[in-house]
Amino acid sequence: MKKLLGLALGVLTAIGGFVDIGDLVTNAVVGSRFGLSLVWVVLVGVVGICLFANMSGRVAAASGRATFEVIRERLGARAGLANLGASFFINLMTVTAELGGIALALQLASSVQYLLWIPVAVVAVWIVIWRVRFAIMENVAGLLGLCLVVFAVALFLLKPDWANLAGQALAPAVPGSETGAGYWYYAVALFGAAMTPYEVFFFSSGAVEEGWSVKDLGQARSNVLVGFPLGGLLSVSIAACAAVVLLPAGVAVTSLSQVVLPVAEGGGKLALAFVIVGILAATFGAALETTLSSGYTLAQFFGWSWGKFRRPVQAARFHLSMILCLVVGVGVLATGVDPVLVTEYSVVFSAIALPLTYLPVLIVANDPQYMGHHVNKRPVNVLAMIYLVIILAASVAAIPLMIITGAGS
Amino acid sequence: MNPDGPLSPHPPVAGRVLDAQLHLLDRQVLDADGVPVTTADDIEIDGLEAGVPIPPGAPAPSLTALLTGPVLGTRIFGGRPPSSRLIRILWKDVADVGIVISLGVRGGSLDADWVERWVRDKIIARIPGGRHDPR
Repeated sequence: MKKLLGLALGVLTAIGGFVDIGDLVTNAVVGSRFGLSLVWVVLVGVVGICLFANMSGRVAAASGRATFEVIRERLGARAGLANLGASFFINLMTVTAELGGIALALQLASSVQYLLWIPVAVVAVWIVIWRVRFAIMENVAGLLGLCLVVFAVALFLLKPDWANLAGQALAPAVPGSETGAGYWYYAVALFGAAMTPYEVFFFSSGAVEEGWSVKDLGQARSNVLVGFPLGGLLSVSIAACAAVVLLPAGVAVTSLSQVVLPVAEGGGKLALAFVIVGILAATFGAALETTLSSGYTLAQFFGWSWGKFRRPVQAARFHLSMILCLVVGVGVLATGVDPVLVTEYSVVFSAIALPLTYLPVLIVANDPQYMGHHVNKRPVNVLAMIYLVIILAASVAAIPLMIITGAGS
Repeated sequence: MNPDGPLSPHPPVAGRVLDAQLHLLDRQVLDADGVPVTTADDIEIDGLEAGVPIPPGAPAPSLTALLTGPVLGTRIFGGRPPSSRLIRILWKDVADVGIVISLGVRGGSLDADWVERWVRDKIIARIPGGRHDPR
């Protein structure tokens, strides 16, 4: 019974934790401009994140080594440092976007300008990181994030033309009002949003934080394999809501209030309340994950003591670096830059950096010195090699597409 | 000995053969309590001058210390800090080399940990709750 409860909790947390500000914004933008014609990308992204999150969790459980220690060991100091620079920069951008997302969600709830909410958001995030136990932190944010299910409920309440939606999803075509380059630009962005590298840093470091051993692998696998696809369904329902309400009205999403508009229309005030709580929880949870990931990557590269399972004084540089990251994030937001814009850029940059993270994970998952007999099985390796090709293609195509399309505008 | 010919096979050695690049550099270093100290940023070898061949009959060069600190920068970008500036973890303190390098001493006594101690004492310990055990 206890085991079953643990399993349910793990799955629910994975669902709620899957969606962050990047998924929210990118899916709504894509739904409002391309309908459901990019759903296949979410599918590809979800399978990819399942594959590699599972792999990095297995590396962490079998060897006790988290992802960035492995990256430095395998790539060496020079390439490792370049990788750290890129990953850390993107992570910092994501921290900024998530902090902005918290403030925007609070603005939706209160009608108080989001800039005034930013100090509240950042202090709350820091206190949780400073003080709250890892397991509680992860579970509360994940469970409250489940409120986002209201996107799926709203979709039913909107009584859409299901045949039309299915047609868009199953026979993808570029809508007449959009260019092919724009279509592929958003394909890369969606892929980046689904596979953001911080999820792997966080997942593998979380495995070390919670002291996973090889025995816990089964539960970890079911959390990922059930939770992430259901999280992906949430992403799709966000896009579908936008496709049903905003696409026909010709509204291209540029703000968070437009993301929740279809929910308000379908489900009224109560649904709106749920969706605001859901967005708040999702962005807050992701702000915690990305801030911790910044600390994890730095500490693991330089070999510092790290982890929330230690007292802050026993992981001093780890905690100091996270405080500095939060300060930088607030500084960037204080310039008045639009958090939604930061989000849109962060997912594309994530796509560019994907190979840097996933290649070393794949190499180490095949190293018997680390893994013993838990090395990758052949089917996993075949699938991972296919994904490396997709990841490389997305990474290479991202910048040219960004230039051609003027970042999707 | 023909300098262009293949190297003569190395004499048999007792114990394990470690490849510095593969087993030492960029490995995590843990202290006796399993707490991370640093990553092995470089190594110091005694009795070896870069670019100068070792004369036959000279005593074999020996690994004296793992290095850390600013030496990471010079390893990546080139150059070498003066010997007095190197932060050393003496090789005699190393207890085991596996997927991590384990030390037989505690991190608190090592020079390699001074930045961590400084940040701890000057900043983190002064913030309320810094000594709170999260578990």
